Amino acid sequence: MEGKLTIKRIIGLFSISAKMDLMWLLRDTKFAIVAIIADAISNISVVSGVYLIALRFGGIGGMSVDEILFMMSYSTIITGLFIMFGASNNIHVSRIIGRGQLDHMFIQPLSLKVQFITCGFMPFTGSSNFIIGCVMLIISAGRLKLNITPWWIFMLIVYLATTMVIIFARAYLVSSAAFYAPVAAEEISSTAIEGTWQLSTFPLSGMPYFIQIPLLTILPEGFMCWFPSMCLLGRPPLNLTGLYPLIYALILSLIASYIFRKGLNFYVRKGSNRYVPYGFRR
Amino acid sequence: MFKYIKTAHMSCLQETNGGVLYLLPDIIIKICTLIPLVFLWKVVMSSGVDVGMTMDQMLTYTYVGALLSDMMVVKTAATGWLSEGVLMRLYGRPLSVIGQLIAQTIGGWIPMLLLFSLPMALISPVIGVSLLPASPWFIVSLLLCISLGFAIDVLFACLSIKLRNMSWLISRIRAAITAVLSGTVIPIRLLPLGLSEVMKYQPFACLGGASLSIFTGAGDPLEILRLQVIWNIILWPVALIVFKKSQEGMVSYGG
Repeated sequence: MEGKLTIKRIIGLFSISAKMDLMWLLRDTKFAIVAIIADAISNISVVSGVYLIALRFGGIGGMSVDEILFMMSYSTIITGLFIMFGASNNIHVSRIIGRGQLDHMFIQPLSLKVQFITCGFMPFTGSSNFIIGCVMLIISAGRLKLNITPWWIFMLIVYLATTMVIIFARAYLVSSAAFYAPVAAEEISSTAIEGTWQLSTFPLSGMPYFIQIPLLTILPEGFMCWFPSMCLLGRPPLNLTGLYPLIYALILSLIASYIFRKGLNFYVRKGSNRYVPYGFRR
Repeated sequence: MFKYIKTAHMSCLQETNGGVLYLLPDIIIKICTLIPLVFLWKVVMSSGVDVGMTMDQMLTYTYVGALLSDMMVVKTAATGWLSEGVLMRLYGRPLSVIGQLIAQTIGGWIPMLLLFSLPMALISPVIGVSLLPASPWFIVSLLLCISLGFAIDVLFACLSIKLRNMSWLISRIRAAITAVLSGTVIPIRLLPLGLSEVMKYQPFACLGGASLSIFTGAGDPLEILRLQVIWNIILWPVALIVFKKSQEGMVSYGG
């Protein structure tokens, strides 16, 4: 049975994941270092594209080169948080569902929710982008001469958390398809997350409304770095309130939660047929 | 030759085995990325900075690059062949391994060409993009680009054999490197800080970016073709020799 869930218990669960990450780093250092380098190179290649364009053209759509750098640093921090907290397919949850691995989680004496939140924490091998992003943020904030107050730092943390909630919610929403079509939808979270990563780094300033509005409503790519960055720079886009990302995150989470629960109920009744008796995956 | 055509056909069918519907998320994502990308370039190019390319050329470059993305930077099943059980299939048939990889890859391109590239090509006038090549040499350049892409892919596959269970990491590093160095996302001539002059002679620059430059008339076809031929002549023998030496080191653990 699940014991009482306290803050101490949750920190303890995060610590277990962190300890396993450290053990991996120490036991298989060569592989772990290559993984760290791969994460960093992969992200730099994505954000450098937009930054190099801004550098060549002296800005993009009314955003200066330093503002683009600030936006890319926000994106890099988000990538870092994503890797740091999502290392066990707990954000790419369609893989867990599609492969029938939810059954492994059912036998743990913890709720699914707690397992999903705590199981993918990799602070040692997964933090390279987070650190790079923080350094970039400090440099860009300095170049932009931003007035950094405790309130601004608080809002930065709120926006980062909001973006992470949106990433989680969207991933769980689309991953619900894997309850019904485990083979076909096993990688649907990758399509939704990795497939849109490049799009999420686009500065939407200067683009027509028919591009901006769908990316702030139907698809959440505008919230991945552009909208929060503009809010932190003191210029919320489209005359919207700075609270809009929070409202969006709340609505998306509620929808995702409802759809995911329906899928989970279906899974509990039907189960998974992915494994054949001798262990291979269909 | 018939056997390779049949292999390509099987690979094409494999992509749609679960139904065409399951390709829809990928197609939607491609469309949702391409259209904002076109407008991003419109915004950027309207700044008036002279970069040696007109806005029309830039839009065509981006659009064609997206429509032919699979050919611009070739990726075969060899990337994950140690972990996904591909080896058993390839070595269990009386055909050349590299030949099969090429046939499978080309066959795998067809569904996306029909379901994404063709419809998007038809609606390109609505978006304001011209898809007329500036030079007929584009076809030759595209073939050389694909050929070079296969050679580079074989070399990365050999690297994954050498480094054993690092295929996923190699694939990530490779995707990152080729995204920047191939010029398929940002044309190499647009790179700032003098990077364009340094970068245009490296082999990745002879992939998609080179063919797109010819398509849009933004590069000298003869100079580009010469570089593509040189890199093909250098890298194919290297790839074949390295592959021959690497084969006995293969360890597959997936299925």
